[in-house]
Amino acid sequence: MLSSYTEMKADGSTSGGCWIYTGVYAGSVNRAAMRIPGKQQSWVAPDWGWAWPANRRILYNRASADPDGKPWSDAKALVWWDAEKKTWTGHDIPDFPVDTAPDYRPEAGTGGPKGLAGDDPFVMQGDGKGWLYAPTGLLDGPLPSHYEPHESPVSNPLYRQQANPTREVFRRSDNLSNPSGNADGAQYFPYVFTTYRLTEHHTAGGMSRWLPFLSELQPEFFCEVSPALAQERNLEHMGWATIVTARTAIEARVLVTERMVPLQVGGRTIHQVGLPYHWGVGSDALVSGDSANDLFGVTLDPNVHIQETKVASCDIQPGRRPTGPALLEYVKGYQTRAGITIFTGNEQRTPTGEQEVSP
Amino acid sequence: MTTTSLPNPAVRAGWVDPPPRKGFFTDTSICIGCKACEVACKEWNGVPEDGLDMLGSSYDNTGALGASTWRHVAFIEQPARPAAPTVDLGMPSFSLPGAEADPADRTDFRWLMSSDVCKHCTNAACLDVCPTGSLFRTEFGTVVVQEDICNGCGYCVPACPYGVIERRGGDEKVVKNVGIAQKCTLCYDRIGEGQTPACAQACPTQSIQFGDVDELRQRAADRLASLHADGVPEARLYGADPNDGVGGAGAMFLLLDEPEVYGFPPDPVVTTRDLNDMWRRAALAAGTLLVGAMGAFLGRRR
Repeated sequence: MLSSYTEMKADGSTSGGCWIYTGVYAGSVNRAAMRIPGKQQSWVAPDWGWAWPANRRILYNRASADPDGKPWSDAKALVWWDAEKKTWTGHDIPDFPVDTAPDYRPEAGTGGPKGLAGDDPFVMQGDGKGWLYAPTGLLDGPLPSHYEPHESPVSNPLYRQQANPTREVFRRSDNLSNPSGNADGAQYFPYVFTTYRLTEHHTAGGMSRWLPFLSELQPEFFCEVSPALAQERNLEHMGWATIVTARTAIEARVLVTERMVPLQVGGRTIHQVGLPYHWGVGSDALVSGDSANDLFGVTLDPNVHIQETKVASCDIQPGRRPTGPALLEYVKGYQTRAGITIFTGNEQRTPTGEQEVSP
Repeated sequence: MTTTSLPNPAVRAGWVDPPPRKGFFTDTSICIGCKACEVACKEWNGVPEDGLDMLGSSYDNTGALGASTWRHVAFIEQPARPAAPTVDLGMPSFSLPGAEADPADRTDFRWLMSSDVCKHCTNAACLDVCPTGSLFRTEFGTVVVQEDICNGCGYCVPACPYGVIERRGGDEKVVKNVGIAQKCTLCYDRIGEGQTPACAQACPTQSIQFGDVDELRQRAADRLASLHADGVPEARLYGADPNDGVGGAGAMFLLLDEPEVYGFPPDPVVTTRDLNDMWRRAALAAGTLLVGAMGAFLGRRR
């Protein structure tokens, strides 16, 4: 077992596994099982568990020290330059060539790690700099900003542009979007929902819902709501609720819990609905239920084309959802009341006047 | 803090020169509620599924220990007091959550988790009442059911002051040992080979610790002292007192609230404690009846 991936040789004489995990058994000790209490070591706690790569806890930690190599803050010191020993050292494993002094300046045209100056902490970047202004590369640059999600019950507090204008939208009748913010019809979808995992299941349950020892621990699809939302919508603990978006409606058992805390956004109370996404419809698994992901549509980020499927707006109503054609009618009712077309929420530039509050 | 060592019940059961008594120390203050103990126990011991019912009791869908549940993780949601206001998504702060609050007026919601198990009592009532000898005291001081000897009489079920042991129900074609009393064996087959019980082996946070009971008692006392020193005065041990109603447990716990909060009986008593007294009273009553009846006949002769 190698202690570090830097010990790997190109001649096939070493074996280190996947390079990021090399060192998890450094010194023949299972470092992942280390459990030295925090009080018995530095605040970075390198001897509690192990982190890849190289047990480094904070990436780019050179940035925690000033250009001269002194920590910006003693209380948050991670690494520093030891001028006597001419090396980077500290509480964390330096994420920087350890012998590159803070005052090192490369000859013009030097490539590789030696091409970075001693005050270039972002070692994975070609120029060693962290970019706030990104003139190339990102399609939605050059400066960071805030947009609301594709679907949101609040309007963007920064601009009249509601959502990222470069997001990829798909204007299709099977991919409708809820109106957002102050747009007409948004009042029919006043809540936000998010999806997450439970420890007992794996992704959509394709494996875990077939196993009795896991299925019995989380047997049913449920939604989590705060006592305040339960009161507002007459939801009963252990009863049924129907959660609705412009795409479809699903049903879930209700868990009323104080773990769900209503949010204060822009002076308004926004209730959240929590949905673990481990269930699906079918008759072969030991347990089944509606799929939380059915509630989402497809909208992609412009850079890496990842769909926005963690948060959206919704309505929640007590009771079970209709089935068959009645379900389609039920969802159609929402679409009609909210005036949803394929253009709703799918205009990349927010139409003039849509998000301004009417007088 | 030092602890006194417990008498080894294995000696009392007739084992000559037994190994040190083995047990669990479950430190619920570091339980994360992953339920790995429940799954590992079932995998190793071949314990069948115990019902696919949602209970609505936070994330606990197991409910209680029983014939087909030998580890049970309880989830207790304790609302913040005073009632939680809403969370303002303002500027992020730079201190640890709760770091600026005085622990005495903690306003955070608290989610307690605790993995329950058979207590392997020093004075075990299930063992006392078993008429077949199926339940026996092992050389490790633990209490184990021999499934091929148990006749399913069920005396042990009401005898247990914790409600741990139970006869297994279900369809004999699908489930083994139907009608047989079943409970945690402290992985008798594993510890005999020098292995750690499955639940303790699987526990990722060392909330479940296995070892010699004397050492675990010391560890529990040290952990309690350290929590008290850190300003957690509500921490307390359960099952660690050799003078309690079961003579101390082989499986002890560190709790962060009253035992009742976790579903533990606050003052368990070995149900056979009063047996001698009860028999004495029964004999006295029988004797009195006999004397009375004889008196009645004597009276008639007069």
